[in-house]
Amino acid sequence: MRHIQRYWWLLVLALIALYPPTLGGMSPYRSGVLIFVGIYVILAVSLDLLMGLAGLISVGHAAFFAIGAYASGILTAKYGTSPLFALLMGMLLSGGVAWAVGRPVLALKEYYLAMATLALNEIIVTLIIGLQWLTGGASGLRDIPAFSLLGFPFDNPIHYYYVVWAIVFLVVLASLGVARSPFGRTLIAIHSDETAAKTFGIDCARYKGRVYILSALYASVAGSLFAHYMGFLAPDDFSVLTSINILVMLFLGGIGTIYGPALGAIFLKLLPEFTYQFQDYELLLNGIILIVVLVFMPKGLFGILMSLKDRLIGTRAT
Amino acid sequence: MNEFSHLIQFFFSGLTTGSVYALMAVSLVIVYKVSLLICFAQGEFFVIGALTMVTLTSKGLPMPAAFVLSIILSTAVGALVERVLIRRIRDMSVGNLIVMTIAISLALRGLALLIWGKESAVSPPFTPGKPIHVLGATLQPQVLWIIGVTILVLFLIWFFFEKTKAGIAMRACAENRLGASLMGISTQKVALFAWAWGSGIGALAGMVVAPLLFIQYGSGVMPMVKGFIAMSIGGLESIAGAVITGFLLGLVESYTIGLISSQFSDTIVFTILLFVLVFKPSGLFGASRSREV
Repeated sequence: MRHIQRYWWLLVLALIALYPPTLGGMSPYRSGVLIFVGIYVILAVSLDLLMGLAGLISVGHAAFFAIGAYASGILTAKYGTSPLFALLMGMLLSGGVAWAVGRPVLALKEYYLAMATLALNEIIVTLIIGLQWLTGGASGLRDIPAFSLLGFPFDNPIHYYYVVWAIVFLVVLASLGVARSPFGRTLIAIHSDETAAKTFGIDCARYKGRVYILSALYASVAGSLFAHYMGFLAPDDFSVLTSINILVMLFLGGIGTIYGPALGAIFLKLLPEFTYQFQDYELLLNGIILIVVLVFMPKGLFGILMSLKDRLIGTRAT
Repeated sequence: MNEFSHLIQFFFSGLTTGSVYALMAVSLVIVYKVSLLICFAQGEFFVIGALTMVTLTSKGLPMPAAFVLSIILSTAVGALVERVLIRRIRDMSVGNLIVMTIAISLALRGLALLIWGKESAVSPPFTPGKPIHVLGATLQPQVLWIIGVTILVLFLIWFFFEKTKAGIAMRACAENRLGASLMGISTQKVALFAWAWGSGIGALAGMVVAPLLFIQYGSGVMPMVKGFIAMSIGGLESIAGAVITGFLLGLVESYTIGLISSQFSDTIVFTILLFVLVFKPSGLFGASRSREV
């Protein structure tokens, strides 16, 4: 039992690696679905750093998703740079925007912060629609090449699946590390009582700004991966509704646990694959599931799993 | 058309959208004042009101009857939501509250999709008639209805909150919930009332523009977001602030679309919001209240 508890992540890694040849049946479609899932896992986990750890509400996380995606799309499709360079430029730009707006915006609280992040999301999306000569505007950006590394193109979804999930694994691992680091502990302290944190001499504004930049960087990477997989970008993919979707994943899975939001993303993105015959019911179903989780299971899906595990193994999770 | 009549034309269209924004903002403020939560489902009442009216009139019901029935139905849905869901989660954190109203909006939007499908619909105008010409600009008769209804609603709200016992109880509750409950005011009833009012007004906003816009199950998002803007710039808790900013927002939008650029009007509006939030979080019309400890 102790071995399972210690090395369970190896099990997860094996599951990820074995998915395409087994359950995925080597089908490009099935790997493609999991690519989307992986991209949303990155988004949800990165928002969890911001909201779950630091308690900063964001209804505009898709802004950085958009910046990453469009930086990669424009640079590779129009200027022919290498995807890796474009990805790094996207991160630079996202980080820059987060750095620039972070301090004033993150000083806001609760609803004001929610509205400000929503405004940021809309500003980015309306700019994308407006700057037609650069972004293709409302009709979208076309002909984005597949991701490639050192000249080797990942145009087969099964190959790209491994790229995406390797990054997902790294992001989750890094986020867990952040949550357990002194930096993460400080964020949790700021979350639970900012005044108390201040009296301990913590520069709250600086810590908030840093975690904002970090989560923007992850979201930007997710955007770049998305752009190369889709080959086509439209502003609609990055609207406030997308931000709201990421928010929903957080609460569905269990906010503040890193694993929880990842689970939420997997659940919410895989659900349509099982309910596709009832497409019209999907929205209603999503709403009802979320209401039930919020009212009856405030710790989310991860909380349910943990209590199940406790019951099976009989140990307390720490 | 000369330059001047263009300006008049922009003024009319600004007033039309401004009325809708003002109504949405007011409906949000009423709910916020009493329940202290910003409802992300308000756009759904906009849609429910409009589409119910379209359906009822297409079934042959006379316009006034369809109008009244749609308001009653939307108000009932709002009250039901408060009674069944919002009451349970009153003590949650702001993040949870936001997500709860998002969940409600997903469910309501899903319901609207099942009932009305994906097609957009437009309702007949309240009264038939040819466009009116004023100073070289054209004016749809429906615009007069929109502005008239908005003014009437604002008057009713003022009357309710200033002159009736129930309204004064609601204001007391918004001011100090514990104090109000000690004075024998049922805070639960007041919250129910606020939600009913809020959803009714949100629905009304959708109904008055239903003859001018094509509305489908997802059309509520943009009016709601614009309502958020008007509400936030107005200071979250001020009805007068929400009304004034709602109208201003409509006018600013209409003139930027007409005179500067149609593509960047939303960028400009959202940038204004961001600046107001950062530099004057209490809003342009809110009393500045320091929350520092």
